[in-house]
Amino acid sequence: MALNEKIETEMIKEKNSIDEKLIEFHNVSKKYNNLLALDNISFTIQKGEIFGYIGPNGAGKTTTIKILVGLIQDYIGDVYFYGKKISSRRKSFHHLIGYHPQEAGFQEWRTVDHAFKTFGKLSGLSSGHIEKRTQEILNLLNLSDARFKKIVHLSGGMFQKLRLGQALLHEPEILVLDEPLTGLDPSSRFQFKKIIKDLSKMGKTILFSSHILSDVQDIADKIGIINQGSIMKIGTPEELQSSFQIGNIIELIVAENTPLCKGLDQLPEIDSIANLKSNKQLIHLKSDVDVDFVINRILAIINEQKCKIRNFNLLKPSLEDVYLKYVGGQI
Amino acid sequence: MSLILLFLDELRGFAKSKVMIVLWFGLPLLSFLIHFIQPETEDFPISFLVVIVVSSIGGTLSGIMLSTSIVSEKNRHVYELFLIRPVKRYNLLIAKFLAVFLCLTIAVFLSLIIGLIIDTFTVELSENFLILIFDSLTISMCSMAITCSIGILFGVLTSSVPVAAILSVYLGSQLSSLLLLPMFFIPELDPQNLAIILGISVTTVIMGVNIILFNRMQF
Repeated sequence: MALNEKIETEMIKEKNSIDEKLIEFHNVSKKYNNLLALDNISFTIQKGEIFGYIGPNGAGKTTTIKILVGLIQDYIGDVYFYGKKISSRRKSFHHLIGYHPQEAGFQEWRTVDHAFKTFGKLSGLSSGHIEKRTQEILNLLNLSDARFKKIVHLSGGMFQKLRLGQALLHEPEILVLDEPLTGLDPSSRFQFKKIIKDLSKMGKTILFSSHILSDVQDIADKIGIINQGSIMKIGTPEELQSSFQIGNIIELIVAENTPLCKGLDQLPEIDSIANLKSNKQLIHLKSDVDVDFVINRILAIINEQKCKIRNFNLLKPSLEDVYLKYVGGQI
Repeated sequence: MSLILLFLDELRGFAKSKVMIVLWFGLPLLSFLIHFIQPETEDFPISFLVVIVVSSIGGTLSGIMLSTSIVSEKNRHVYELFLIRPVKRYNLLIAKFLAVFLCLTIAVFLSLIIGLIIDTFTVELSENFLILIFDSLTISMCSMAITCSIGILFGVLTSSVPVAAILSVYLGSQLSSLLLLPMFFIPELDPQNLAIILGISVTTVIMGVNIILFNRMQF
């Protein structure tokens, strides 16, 4: 089956399974000695969703992920897959999850091919199935040329792909990616993000953590912001942005070497105007005004003044504004 | 099932990383050289010396190898990729122990064969020669098993490769030689039986401690 057909088929499956809760964290806490790493966190990830988990270093992202993949088992609270509690039946859930660790290395003597064989066997796959999956994954990740290379000789980008590859080997439903884009150059980042999006289209449910805002904004369907062990906010990028009030601000840019628009400050609905550059103004509206009405009045003045407008934009809060609000400026 | 896979994987790792070559060629070569380095042992079978020297050096090397590889793999988070699969934690340690012990045993046997060949041509062998060799071999093997388990203990306990190596050099083989101490104080004891009993029980206890500590580690 061609990749496109496969993607379409999986998209239909995804639509059918919409709103199905796949992963649920219920009041989960974790302490390392006296340090509270997770403080009573709860969230849900729907089937087929890309969940971006963002927060500063040490916020609790990796701890959450390690609980999910079973590397940490001494925690308080409950984690569910498809409504079934995982703590007591951990082994039976292995086939569901593929894990791309943040730091995990491989023994230096292994080749890419050998790593796939070992991890495939340990995941319970037959030799024939491992061979088939190895070829599929190496093609998907554009790693075919590196198949018989020793892992120590791989570049940083190829190494990250190998980590992802071993996670995909047993065709898991859920992919848990801990900082998958860290250390990649811009071209590899772009390629990696495309791969994650493609995997999502194939029906995988993806949880990925990052401390880089743009990566999360580019990929995630839903975002969870964590800081100091607590979930600060969860929602789609649009929901997060609309939940954050920066007031109504209009950005007005005129053509180079032309005068700024005058007379706008006469409008009673305008609170203040900041002239940022020789051709850029930020118009702050009063909080209780009808924005559409004011925009029409501003446009009328612009026409009267015959200002040469290059950009007229009602500013919305960026995800960065939302992030900084919840994590207090730490990155 | 996972134990066999992990054991074979460790063996493959030793083969690929040339550890096996060092053990399987280096130690027999050493036993060959002993004959020329120690020419005054003319009337003394070289095989006795080979078993003791080779097992002592091989045991120390294995202890260092085990402790440093475990520390290095812990620090590089190698175990995470194993533990997210249906693999029991203790199987990782047992597989490592068995693979190293098997490699070492083969190296000792290869060295012994070299020693026996030299002895056949150079000294007049007594009637109970092979029994004495076998006794010596049993004691050495038990000592090596203890050294390997102590190597794993240092690997699990420490987080620094140099510290693990130093502890293995200074304490590993010395602690295993404690095995021979009761024989000096109680002459009636059968050294071979004592070595087997102590070797198996001490190795089992230390491996048990290793497994408990490893199971409690946070990855």
